[in-house]
Amino acid sequence: MTESPTALNDREFMDALLNVVIPPNASGSLPGAGALGLSLAVATALQADPLLGPVVEAGAQAVRKAALSQHQEGLPGMTPEAGTKLVETQLSAHPFFMMGMLRYLYPAYYQHPQVLTGIGEVPRPPFPEGFDVEATDAGLLEKLQARRRAY
Amino acid sequence: MLNEPVGVLVIGAGASGAAFAWSIADIGASVLCLDQGPWMKQQDYPSNGLDWEARGMADYSPSPNVRGLSADYPVNEQDSEISPLMFNAVGGSTILWAAHFPRLTPGDFRTKTEDGVGEDWPIDYETLEPYFSLNDRMMGVSGLAGDPAYPYHEPPLPPLPLGKTGNTLASGFEKLGWHWWPSDSAILSREYEGRAACINLGPCLTGCAQGAKASTDITYWPAAQRKGVQLRTGCRVREITVRADGMADGVLYYDAEGELQEQKAEIVVLACNGIGTPRLLLNSKSRQRPDGLANSSGLVGKNLMFHPYAMVTGIFEEPLHGRRGPVGCSFWSHEFYRTDRSRGFVRGYSFEAVRGLGPAQTALWGMVHGLVPWGEDHHRAFARLYDHTATLLGITEDLADETNTVTLDPELTDAHGIPAPKITYRVSDNSRKMLAHAVERATEALRAAGAAETFAMPLVREAGWHLMGTARMGRDPRTSVVNERGQAHDVKNLFIVDGSIFVTAGGVNPTSTIQALAFYVADNIKTNLATLFDRA
Repeated sequence: MTESPTALNDREFMDALLNVVIPPNASGSLPGAGALGLSLAVATALQADPLLGPVVEAGAQAVRKAALSQHQEGLPGMTPEAGTKLVETQLSAHPFFMMGMLRYLYPAYYQHPQVLTGIGEVPRPPFPEGFDVEATDAGLLEKLQARRRAY
Repeated sequence: MLNEPVGVLVIGAGASGAAFAWSIADIGASVLCLDQGPWMKQQDYPSNGLDWEARGMADYSPSPNVRGLSADYPVNEQDSEISPLMFNAVGGSTILWAAHFPRLTPGDFRTKTEDGVGEDWPIDYETLEPYFSLNDRMMGVSGLAGDPAYPYHEPPLPPLPLGKTGNTLASGFEKLGWHWWPSDSAILSREYEGRAACINLGPCLTGCAQGAKASTDITYWPAAQRKGVQLRTGCRVREITVRADGMADGVLYYDAEGELQEQKAEIVVLACNGIGTPRLLLNSKSRQRPDGLANSSGLVGKNLMFHPYAMVTGIFEEPLHGRRGPVGCSFWSHEFYRTDRSRGFVRGYSFEAVRGLGPAQTALWGMVHGLVPWGEDHHRAFARLYDHTATLLGITEDLADETNTVTLDPELTDAHGIPAPKITYRVSDNSRKMLAHAVERATEALRAAGAAETFAMPLVREAGWHLMGTARMGRDPRTSVVNERGQAHDVKNLFIVDGSIFVTAGGVNPTSTIQALAFYVADNIKTNLATLFDRA
């Protein structure tokens, strides 16, 4: 494995890391975040964030270094269980690493068409089709108007 | 560069500036509005794309400090418990607002008389009523007549559907016998005046791609331009210029190319919001006015009021389809709006029922509350929350306090070198008690509605939408900045029409009242033109 100077730019490592952070679900209807190819988008967003970017980079570097010390292929070569455990061991030294990562990973993950389908949403933007909404409960309105009083 | 002089110069094309400009055009004089932002395009709004939630935290964030767009100016909020929010464009913050459209209540105009706190306004609800109604028609307001919390009024359009979220939450209020009422909403429940009806996109807070939500770029501005009002975008005003006799004679502003321009006018009107207006007044200082313009009272920038928000979210077993429909427009409650001293605080708050979150916001909210972990359990935890939450916001009445201020930052500037505003703000003890009460009562209502669990945020920091009180209205020049007609006590041809002139904040969203005030000020100018500058 060739080590990129920054962990966030190390695509293979980042794919593995994102799969640890959001793994596929048991049924396979929701893919792992790394398998969706979100690494580049997440890394780009983080590197443009002067507050969170360095924090996440530092945490990711620590994870990558620790993984390489345990497995010659680093995180990509480790089992999901081992990868999870390894990431957990780094969090005490890098307490904002995961929060910073999720700030950008969740929006990227939950806008992906495959994920939207997997959670039961239609994989399209809100506009132009829009959505239907349940009508106001007429019975509730009747009760409300029956008990009117001044406020 | 010196431009052709105009009769009326309006600074700011948002909620108040647009309404004012449309109205004042009737006098037949030339009317020009300058705005630092651009025209927005509905096809650019985030709800056109799958990344709508991500963009709501980036280029469509309500915080100018997050967006950092060229139209924005930075705000130093380090010494404030609430982050000020705004949007800078034609339409102003109505581009990103929820369009929840309550009016201040009659009692909000006389808090001193009713409760011995704050100050009474020099005008009352009845004076503003015709302007509220006119504004409802111009904006296109949907609602249900007969709310017992208000004097009778009839919104021009029928109410928006509550949806499953609203029905569920309202059932809780009904069980408790508490007041609730479908919100007045500046969102079209039907096609109206050439604008399409709401199709329940959900992300109102990042601009309405459908055009059903009333933002003043699509309500007032087309009508104002048809009346001949000019609007120049990308123009940031640096200072108001003053003649030797103390009257305002125009402004200096940077145009879209960054060139300094001079614009003369007979009347100058500020509509820059409760932060932008005091910023501009304070920056319009000179040797004669070292504390800024219109500031003989020393109150410009003081008495900043937000609405401190409490937020309680319930998790329900049943899916609520919550991300569909106007996020902030469902119903309101005034059950705890008026003073009951047994509660331990004066004045009160309203509840605003809020629909659910999109998937990304659900995951982030779950992360913040420790409910959605990363790793193996992520999907199970997410599924429990997504489409299963509903929220009540407690909007508390902030009482004016001179130590809550907008000042000029000594170091931070915008892209043109103009000093940025610095916000100093502390939530009062009275507000904290109110927030705690709101959390308890919201929790009770959510439980009554069937929530299995609730999670409270007793004070929401990112909720400084409502910017009020920093150039307040009053009859006494020693204790107010503008008179009962919105006219600066010190500068007779300078008027203010935005939330700065609020005397009290009420416990509801202010835009309806801001726009009614803008109409009222415009009408007073129109009907008193001959003697306008004779008044104190």
